[in-house]
Amino acid sequence: MSGTYAWADHRLFQGEGGPLLFGVEDVSLFHLDRETAEVLARWRPFEPLLLEQVPPPDRPAIEAFRRARLLVPARPRARVPRPRPSAGTPLSTLVLEVAQDCNLACRYCYADGGTYHGAPRLLSPAVARRAARYLVDRSGPHDEVTLVLFGGEPLLNFPAVRAAVDEAETAARAAGKRVRFSLTTNGTLVTEEICEFLHRHRVSVSVSLDGPPEVHDANRPTRGGSGSYRAARQGLALLLRSPPAPVAARVTLPPAQWDRIPQVFDHLIGLGVHEVGIAPASPVTRELLPTAEQEEALFEGFSRLADRFLAAVEEGEVLPFSNLLDLLARIHLGASRSVPCGAGLGYLAVDTEGRFFLCHRLVGQEPFRVGDLDSGPQPETIRGCLEALAAPREESCARCWARALCRGGCHYENHLRETVLGLPFGGTCGFVRRWIELGIRVYARLCASGHGELLGRIGVRARC
Amino acid sequence: MSDKKAVLKALNEKARAIETLAEGEEESARALQEGPPGMPAGCTTVFDTGWETNPRPTYPVGNCQASARDFHGCAGDCWWPAQVPDGLTNHPDVDKQCPNVARDWRKLQYD
Repeated sequence: MSGTYAWADHRLFQGEGGPLLFGVEDVSLFHLDRETAEVLARWRPFEPLLLEQVPPPDRPAIEAFRRARLLVPARPRARVPRPRPSAGTPLSTLVLEVAQDCNLACRYCYADGGTYHGAPRLLSPAVARRAARYLVDRSGPHDEVTLVLFGGEPLLNFPAVRAAVDEAETAARAAGKRVRFSLTTNGTLVTEEICEFLHRHRVSVSVSLDGPPEVHDANRPTRGGSGSYRAARQGLALLLRSPPAPVAARVTLPPAQWDRIPQVFDHLIGLGVHEVGIAPASPVTRELLPTAEQEEALFEGFSRLADRFLAAVEEGEVLPFSNLLDLLARIHLGASRSVPCGAGLGYLAVDTEGRFFLCHRLVGQEPFRVGDLDSGPQPETIRGCLEALAAPREESCARCWARALCRGGCHYENHLRETVLGLPFGGTCGFVRRWIELGIRVYARLCASGHGELLGRIGVRARC
Repeated sequence: MSDKKAVLKALNEKARAIETLAEGEEESARALQEGPPGMPAGCTTVFDTGWETNPRPTYPVGNCQASARDFHGCAGDCWWPAQVPDGLTNHPDVDKQCPNVARDWRKLQYD
């Protein structure tokens, strides 16, 4: 054992069953015994560390750190290269803006009433077909692609939904590929006929529901101003009649409702949805910016659901809280990200005019328009967008222990906060770090209580 | 390895993969010491002397073919072309000069 070594970036958490060591760039997670933790404390200040100077009693632990790549040969740290989109980057997911219009007027809508800032308009079945075929044709080596039917409210334009699904299936069959469909709806326009179509084509459906009537209706009124809870619930009931794919509830809550998270969750599970994912509303107006107390309530709500998740596992059940399941899946695999999401790198959104945007949330924003169905996506423009979004956070992300699981967060959210609202960079970092740390603790608890097999099953979520 | 006391316990898949990798590296290091069967031969694309190994079951076992040849050619005359500078007496600063052999070998200033 010899050579000049340096400690790889790591973070130590005091877990319930002892210290946990998290390899920052590798996303590796280890449990330490007490003696090893002491060796770490003793040698951590040495930078660089000459292995020859470690006395024999400490060597087994030091050797274990070296094997775990927490102690690495001293050399300048390389920057994690970002993937670069090229003309040949294959598509794996395309989001279709089936309707840039909506029958609801949700108070937190980031798409300006579903229109994405412009006149209400619908995708023509002809453009829907072109886009669906484009996805399959440009999917390169992927055997499976995903077509997302989105809006606005996509069920305002069922002919385009039908056309897109039909064309994608035809193209995929000819190419020997498989298409997965998903649709996000407010649920108010679901009919027997629509339901039958969605089930027949195995479309995964997410219904935007915010919880009990008073919470839901406060957020999601119709254009006329009345609540949409009743209609959404009727639609949900139809969708839940023997669905071939799980039906998820997609919750959006403004800060004033963050203290209601457990009730919202219970209400939706009571309605029979298979999974509930909860998103804090984006601050499309300054009124939606949380206070410190509200942010605390959000974390508290998520923590309580995490506690219930742990308790349920002991009863042999899985609490279907999507946020936690997704986080545990990513921790399980330890997949280190080089970008926050696939936007522009195999994932694109297409609007009613057949123009490509970096992602579905950035539709209609001119700086993020990256091509169209005629000329294809423009790799140079995509590269420029991604560089501009990453540049301001590069330095602080390089110092953050959660970087490999986050890589800077949602492009839209960052653009909104920093460019549109002029807020200082990093407003959501504190919450993200606390949430990831909570996930690591839950993960370690599940390992300690012998639930490795369950974690393996949860991990499958992050593989696709 | 089972006979060693586990001082770090890998929890997630990545941690296990890293440890398996380390074990794999040890396996090949051991294979190099154990003699000819399965010994890899030929050039290497990484800076890793010892990979291109002496296939003969004679001393020195497991070092690269070039140095094994040199050894047999020169051992009798008490001359040994050292691959590593003598850090004990003549080049005490070799560690500083060359902290990473793969990267810094050009900086070595010795005959």
